[in-house]
Amino acid sequence: MKLRYRYPILVLLAVAGILVAVFAQSGGYTPGEFQSTNPNYPKPNPFYFEGKIDWNLLGITTPQNAWEYLQRGMHFQDDMNDIPDAINDYQTALSMNSLQSKTCKVVTMADLVMINGKLTVPAQITPAPCMFTLRLRLGFLMRATSPSTAIGLFQEVLQIDPQRLGVNTLIAETWVIEAQQATDPPTQQQDYANAIAAFQAELALSPVTQQSMALTGDTANNSKVHWELAQVYEATGQNNLAKSELQAYVSATKWHSDVYPWRIALANSQIQALAKVK
Amino acid sequence: MRVPVFTPAVCISALCLLGCGTQVHSVPNPPVVSFKPQAFQPPENCLPCHQRQFDELRSAVKSGYRNVSPLFNGLESAGNLVNGGLLRPVYKDSTVVLPDGTLLNTNMYTSPVLTETRQVQAGFCFTCHNANIEVLGDSDLTKREVPQLAGLGTCNPAPPAGQQCFQPQLFRPLRDYVMVDANGNQILPLAPGGDPPTGAMPSLAAAGITCDYCHDENGPDLNRSFQMDGFGNTSLLLNQTDLKVGPFLHPVAVKNNFHVASNDPDKIAFLRAGAFCNTCHDVRVPNRNLVAEEHNMNPGGENVSYFRLENLSTEWQIGPYNSTSNPFGQIVRCQDCHMSLFPYAGTTTYQVGDMTVTSPTPGMFATDYAAVPGVATDQNAPLQQRKVVEHYFTGVDVPLLTPTELSARLGPNYPDPYAAGTDTHGVPDGLATRRADLMKAAARLSLSKSDTTAQIGQKFTVRLEAVSLTGHRLPAGFSQERTVYVQLAVTDNNGFLLYQSGYVVDKPHPNTGENMPDGNLDDEDLEHLHAVVDPGMHTATYTAGTATNGGNNLVFEAGPDDGPDARIFVGAQEGLVLFRNELTQIFLPGQPIGHIDPVTGKSVMAKGVHFEETFQAALANAVDNFRSLQPLHPQTYSYEIQLPTQQQLQAMGVTLQGPLHVHAQINFEHFPPLFMRFIAGVTSANGPSGNNLNLVDEHRIDSLLKNVQNIASDDVTASLTP
Repeated sequence: MKLRYRYPILVLLAVAGILVAVFAQSGGYTPGEFQSTNPNYPKPNPFYFEGKIDWNLLGITTPQNAWEYLQRGMHFQDDMNDIPDAINDYQTALSMNSLQSKTCKVVTMADLVMINGKLTVPAQITPAPCMFTLRLRLGFLMRATSPSTAIGLFQEVLQIDPQRLGVNTLIAETWVIEAQQATDPPTQQQDYANAIAAFQAELALSPVTQQSMALTGDTANNSKVHWELAQVYEATGQNNLAKSELQAYVSATKWHSDVYPWRIALANSQIQALAKVK
Repeated sequence: MRVPVFTPAVCISALCLLGCGTQVHSVPNPPVVSFKPQAFQPPENCLPCHQRQFDELRSAVKSGYRNVSPLFNGLESAGNLVNGGLLRPVYKDSTVVLPDGTLLNTNMYTSPVLTETRQVQAGFCFTCHNANIEVLGDSDLTKREVPQLAGLGTCNPAPPAGQQCFQPQLFRPLRDYVMVDANGNQILPLAPGGDPPTGAMPSLAAAGITCDYCHDENGPDLNRSFQMDGFGNTSLLLNQTDLKVGPFLHPVAVKNNFHVASNDPDKIAFLRAGAFCNTCHDVRVPNRNLVAEEHNMNPGGENVSYFRLENLSTEWQIGPYNSTSNPFGQIVRCQDCHMSLFPYAGTTTYQVGDMTVTSPTPGMFATDYAAVPGVATDQNAPLQQRKVVEHYFTGVDVPLLTPTELSARLGPNYPDPYAAGTDTHGVPDGLATRRADLMKAAARLSLSKSDTTAQIGQKFTVRLEAVSLTGHRLPAGFSQERTVYVQLAVTDNNGFLLYQSGYVVDKPHPNTGENMPDGNLDDEDLEHLHAVVDPGMHTATYTAGTATNGGNNLVFEAGPDDGPDARIFVGAQEGLVLFRNELTQIFLPGQPIGHIDPVTGKSVMAKGVHFEETFQAALANAVDNFRSLQPLHPQTYSYEIQLPTQQQLQAMGVTLQGPLHVHAQINFEHFPPLFMRFIAGVTSANGPSGNNLNLVDEHRIDSLLKNVQNIASDDVTASLTP
């Protein structure tokens, strides 16, 4: 062997020796692999993940089930501003998670089971639980073009969770759209009446109580609902009620202002104007 | 024939390359070590030779502060007070028998495989912050700083004969236990939560994540990580010998053989990799997650279900910085931002989507000595300067204690978080400054896609594009409470405010004694939600659960700026853009949801399956970790803004003048004040323990809760037509 090859070979042998010694010392290392399943893809247990997951993290090529269609629909709507494709996906999802075709169910106490002395929900429910995000999203997009369909979807959400905040407001707002689209006065009056009932149902979900006042200092809440309800009362000529709602709106904004803060000044001005109306 | 010449330098480089990736290696069985046993050392023992590192680490919150933090202690207390102390460690001598007959005598760290939920709960918070102390105290009572509580989880049902119930009035926050007298003997405050006794000094546990904690690493513990991958919940093996793992091979021998340096390239590579940080920076809570089925994958661990609280490591692992597909063309490790000169070592300009971004360059390191020359080495062998890491570990936290309180609990001359000046590497001494600068490197935004014209009485759309530049999502860590949000305002040319989002209002907080607005905005919650959490109350006989121990929302109302719900669930383009993740409690039909019916005075029951945000992590059974901003993935958020009509303007006596001005900025909120107020209530004398645990109150919130405004901003104008 020529001398010029000796040095590198000796070094290689030395390195190999070091490696052997190191591995012997450590007892042998085995590779640790990051979890094989996608940590961003939630497997229902039994409820679906209600919310939006970044589409690029889901690893879905073609949606295979209602939840995947919902996720792609949200991606179309929020990230691509592609409303027609979003509606298509939501409708496909709904066809796979439908109360009417019994491909989903509203979970009730009857579905609960006792495990370790505790009433809980089993990991699997057949058919799968109905999703509320899907119905809210699709309903919201259909408010102007098909208000009655939208209201139906929102009412299904109330079947799933009667205490969910904001759903009654969506129903009320959609009745207002119906009223504005109505051509005959009786229908319009009924639509407004339905809107008023829905707004009041929303208010009933977060009542102002002695306890809430003591904890927060708020004498009113839900400023948005009071504002919108006042507009309905005004549109239907119920001025005293309109004034009362505007006053509740002003009270509710006392410690919270509004996203449209000018409405507070406007409400005060309208209260004064309404006070003058006999 | 030509044979490549392998010089020693090339060989070492090759070894480094082998070990510098993110693949982790495990020791299936503890190695047979022949090094001298050495108990975990207090950091002061490392100080003489590593003064700079000691000084830096001391100001890191993961070091001393976290263990005496009012928030950490309060959160841990709140969890224990609702479940009967289950989060406190159990030890080898425990006689607790689980309902299935299993003896519970191992905790989250000492269980070889976590087969029971109660093993994970045992020391759940303490393990991550003090695993070494848990190990020391497992069999040696003299070194056990945090005791096992009596009556864990009881009295519902009543404990076995001869055993007592959990007694909340005896419950102490963890920080009560981390004090010693001059002889090194543990001393406790007179009353639970009381001030440090005279002469109290910090114990070893008070030091938290010490030099030894990291440099005693012995590789990941795959058996205790739920996915068998070395992620989360302190799935880290620790040595108790004089063998220390440093960041490079063949350092100069240590004086007096105080320790020896590991030459194991795997362990060195592990210490230098993100994989090392991954062992702790995922936190998986052993509660069933009702919207995602995840359980311990280890044999026998099937019954341990969990949800992901901190998910930072997973986010980094699957994100662009753990690849070369990022603006820097190389893997950017945790160490490259949190242990480097970042963000004080130059900037880089690059393209993210259609945004051109200039931000600090990661992975820039100072050149310095790794140990003190003339002191540290055997026979005073000379040291060479080399690239060294900083040990500040700056993140988003600053202490919620005054400098006086910090020194009282962590020893004299604790570094002032708000100190001025810079160190020898040009890094600010004050943690608050470092935090603010780090945050300002975290995100960028643009309003350039907004409407350029607006018409009175019509809708006007602002389009805000935001991008996170972090190695994980923004925010990360305890991302369900850490808060990053967009503050946006639209005004006319005279400053008339037409729209606002991400605003706060100075208001009273009667539940914690602030009866009038105090002029401070850092203690105000965002206006998307109005919530007050039940602090619970002390009762003569303890029963685990929320009925008397709090945690549910007494008040839960939608606010005027309700963007998170409107945007996520409804798809509406309105309201607050909030990058905070959410812990959710899913109430099943028939369960009390915490509100009181004003008519009947009784608890309101869930009428269906009711989802509601919870601020008591122990009650969460679902989590949404996708509200935070994904790294290097710009997102556009629209605001459809209704401008007032001419008639409305006339009614107000206002004339709008164009152009309209749109200003947006990203802010960081340390913690939601309502969450702090919950911690204040549950640890107060009126809370379940019946003692003031002396952790959080309105004064602390008002004086120490400091937010970081204006991480990034943009402004545009739009012409206005009648």
